[in-house]
Amino acid sequence: MARPNLTGPIAVILLFVIWEGSVQGFGIREFLLPAPSVILSEAWTIRGAILNHTLATLQTVLLGFAAAVLISLPLAMAIASSPVISAAIYPLLVITQSIPKVALAPILIVALGANEVPRVIVTFLVAFFPLVVASVAGLLAAPPELIELGRACRAGRVQQMLRIRLPYAVPFVFGGLKVAAALSVVGAVVAEFVGADAGLGYLIQTSMAFFRTPLAFAAVVILALMGMTLFALVGLMERVLFPWSTSSQTNIPAA
Amino acid sequence: MILLSGVGKTFRGRDGGRVEALSDITLRVAPGEFVAIVGASGCGKSTLLRLVAGLVPVSLGRVEVSGTLVSEPRADTAMVFQAPTLLPWADVLRNVTFPLRLMGKATRTTEDEARVLLAKAGLTGFETKLPRELSGGMQQRVAICRALLQQPRVLLMDEPFGALDALTREEMSIELLRIWAETGAAVLFVTHSISEAVLLADRVVVMSPRPGRIADVIQVGLPRPRDFAQEGTPAFHDAAQRIRALIYAKKEAAHGAA
Repeated sequence: MARPNLTGPIAVILLFVIWEGSVQGFGIREFLLPAPSVILSEAWTIRGAILNHTLATLQTVLLGFAAAVLISLPLAMAIASSPVISAAIYPLLVITQSIPKVALAPILIVALGANEVPRVIVTFLVAFFPLVVASVAGLLAAPPELIELGRACRAGRVQQMLRIRLPYAVPFVFGGLKVAAALSVVGAVVAEFVGADAGLGYLIQTSMAFFRTPLAFAAVVILALMGMTLFALVGLMERVLFPWSTSSQTNIPAA
Repeated sequence: MILLSGVGKTFRGRDGGRVEALSDITLRVAPGEFVAIVGASGCGKSTLLRLVAGLVPVSLGRVEVSGTLVSEPRADTAMVFQAPTLLPWADVLRNVTFPLRLMGKATRTTEDEARVLLAKAGLTGFETKLPRELSGGMQQRVAICRALLQQPRVLLMDEPFGALDALTREEMSIELLRIWAETGAAVLFVTHSISEAVLLADRVVVMSPRPGRIADVIQVGLPRPRDFAQEGTPAFHDAAQRIRALIYAKKEAAHGAA
């Protein structure tokens, strides 16, 4: 067994050490670039509020991510099952991707009210597209011989989709889920910038209005941790539920 | 068992032109007979198998299996491809039983029958392994077991050993004969290898390309059970030589015409 790779963590720690050292050594002013220690202490003084903001953002992220999963997978199956549906839906998808979500957010908030719904929709809009594209690619990736095997076994279109194409797409879907998880965090923050009275995006905006840069940095760090955690959780789910899917796993050669 | 009469197949090319893949194929394969098909690349060997499998419709003539016209894939016909084509998410046992489960024909004894077949193929102890944990030869053995578990009356094999190394290939051809001998299935076996065709088959169909036609059918007079020792016999050399002559004569004729 190889030693656990510590290069990554060491590099991160080193970055923070250099950051702290440069801020103190060069006397950089706090509202321009706060030192890690200042960020930590400022955040600690309002930890209760930060926890609430974090939970508010997490709720938007998870709801938006869930919506992306629930809508993307059936959509991908519809696109993969028929060239006609694909030709009809793909241009619409590309249009939704061409619209900047930041531009859409205020319109949605006027239309749907200042509540969680428009934020979840914006999060969904940011997160779902890569998931659809990855899932469609996966559903179409089954080798032609496997499809022929299905046909030789007299499998219908539904069976072909559910018993051959869908399982074959699992590694692709998880690739898309990882991207979607990270993008959900981006989507939630974009939505909170435009219309929210809580959440880490809201905290960043209000902190910067009063030049409380350390708090904004604290929010950014928490957002990064949230994205990384979601990413890791999706990976963990893949390894637990679909152990055959992960390509990183060591290949045990036959004896 | 298998009857092809006057079969032709024309594909529409991407540029709208017509490509004649097969022309005037007439062939009868008896129950329990092992027929190999050899020929240069692009002579329509694989297309021929797919016509018999019911995966591709004929353009001309008729294909019959067990006296009925083939218009769609049949439950009593099984196919083995050049690639093992296993489900990466299913273990060996579930891969072998997949066709029967897909057709809703799995019974209580299916799993036991699968274990027996796997044992015959030397795969005992690998039932719960995933395909990627097996070597290429073992994967192809699983694919052959998968086809045989359907108890097919017609077994179609499209260069099943084509992707294997030479040693594994020889070993597996003898193994295939041993397992097949107990099934009584009619086999159509496509290969590039002349010696493989002679070693395995009762008759060898030699095809010529563009459009694919039957150049001749060579009777292999070797007694069964077959083994490698027969590769040294005059009968083996004679059959291989006649096949080689047919393939290269056709090539030279084609060059001469061009």
